[in-house]
Amino acid sequence: MIHIEVAGFGSTVQDLGRPGHVREGVPVSGPADPVAFRAAQALVGNSSTDAAIEAVGLPFTFRCDSSRLVAVTGREVSVTVRDRLPGWTAVFVRAGDLVRVSGTERSRYTYIAVSGGVASEAVLGSRAAYPRIGFGRALQSGDALALGQPHGGPEDAGASLHFIYGERAGASAGPHVDRFDDAAIARFFSEPFTLSAQSDRQGARLDGVVVAPKGGELLSCGIVTGAVQVPRGGQPIVALADHGTTGGYPIIATVIGADIGQIAQRAPGETLHFYRVERDAAHERSRVQHVSLFAS
Amino acid sequence: MTRAPRVLPFGESAFLVELGDELDDRLAARAREIADRWEYGPAIPAYASVVLQYDDRHDPALAEKRVESVLRAAGQRATPNAAPRLVEIAVRYDGPDLADVARMSRLSVDELISRHSRREYTAYFLGFLPGWAYCGRLDPKIIATRLERPRERVPAGSVGVVDGQTGVYPYQSPGGWRLIGSTDAVMFDPLRERPSLIHAGDRIRFVPR
Repeated sequence: MIHIEVAGFGSTVQDLGRPGHVREGVPVSGPADPVAFRAAQALVGNSSTDAAIEAVGLPFTFRCDSSRLVAVTGREVSVTVRDRLPGWTAVFVRAGDLVRVSGTERSRYTYIAVSGGVASEAVLGSRAAYPRIGFGRALQSGDALALGQPHGGPEDAGASLHFIYGERAGASAGPHVDRFDDAAIARFFSEPFTLSAQSDRQGARLDGVVVAPKGGELLSCGIVTGAVQVPRGGQPIVALADHGTTGGYPIIATVIGADIGQIAQRAPGETLHFYRVERDAAHERSRVQHVSLFAS
Repeated sequence: MTRAPRVLPFGESAFLVELGDELDDRLAARAREIADRWEYGPAIPAYASVVLQYDDRHDPALAEKRVESVLRAAGQRATPNAAPRLVEIAVRYDGPDLADVARMSRLSVDELISRHSRREYTAYFLGFLPGWAYCGRLDPKIIATRLERPRERVPAGSVGVVDGQTGVYPYQSPGGWRLIGSTDAVMFDPLRERPSLIHAGDRIRFVPR
């Protein structure tokens, strides 16, 4: 079991979500920052289908009642058992040790992977919480969750990965490029935006230049994570893990998979720039990121 | 009426296939058929488009070829796969906007109820919330515009109408449709074998009670 002592605000269990139910209107869910999630899982030797904790609102503290490898990833995070250690590093934690995960005011979504994975109850084949409709719930102080079979020992501690968060995210134009004039698209790829405090796991809301679509009704269409929808007011919303499966606003651009975490991890008030990437280059970046982070 | 579909890249692991730009039963049926035929990842059909996703480790050029071959195969089916399922939903016509919709439509409340309940609708596709089906088309005599100020909390089971369409809120949520009734039917239950009461392509009838 993992015993949670300080749970933060809106922390949940996540795995890679339930992409098989989008045709029933079920959001995919999963980690808001998929790269950080997968890195944490890889560091403790878990498989990509295991579940981990997405902590929101640090500090987050817990104990495990058996010895485990633990890895914490995210933005500006550290983990303290006896000593304070940097994030993105595998740490061996003994049974009963208090583990404290700390961050800064810029930490948004922090991943805590424990070897063996969190074995909470699955809904529709996934442990990813979507509390809005009762698929799991936000973690609370005092919660105890089952864990899978541990693997790895003290000799596996110390492995680390490197990842840099910045203020730039790659995006390819479209699919609804013909709903915007060239000037709006040029502004989108050149002007800075500011993260709005209304951002959440459904979407990152951006303030800044207006990139309003041309008039005309748009019939709702399917949405993928990273889609940048622009409502009539012209303030874009980037679809994140809990986004609705369909939407009715024109989509000016789509953030590349490798950079979803760059958007999710910006704190309210911070700036963000988009730069234009062609589809094939975006595909290549995802592939290279995959190999450099996870091929070991 | 039918034009060549437009295949637009939607990031590096999906395509948006646009079939048209109007609410049309045949376009929605075509979108569902293309989604059914797509075997390489999740597919999301909508009114007149379908999003086809593929594994981001796969080559986009190969995925595009697969889209083209699915589009060629779709529409060649001589007859529909199977007779659509009919889903009946018992409704109390007691919604807070019932009288307003009747007034906007220049119908009596009884006539509005009769026109809403005597049609069989098609569930075009699901979206917005788990189990929410966009159903149409309404009798053209029923006029319902979107609420200027959407409600912050629409109760689960509310039956709404807007712009030629009707639907049932599966969960409490914000909403801008005009509410004409309510049902006890459980629209979505993850523990059921078919979690969603309505699936895209089903025929829907509302039965007054």
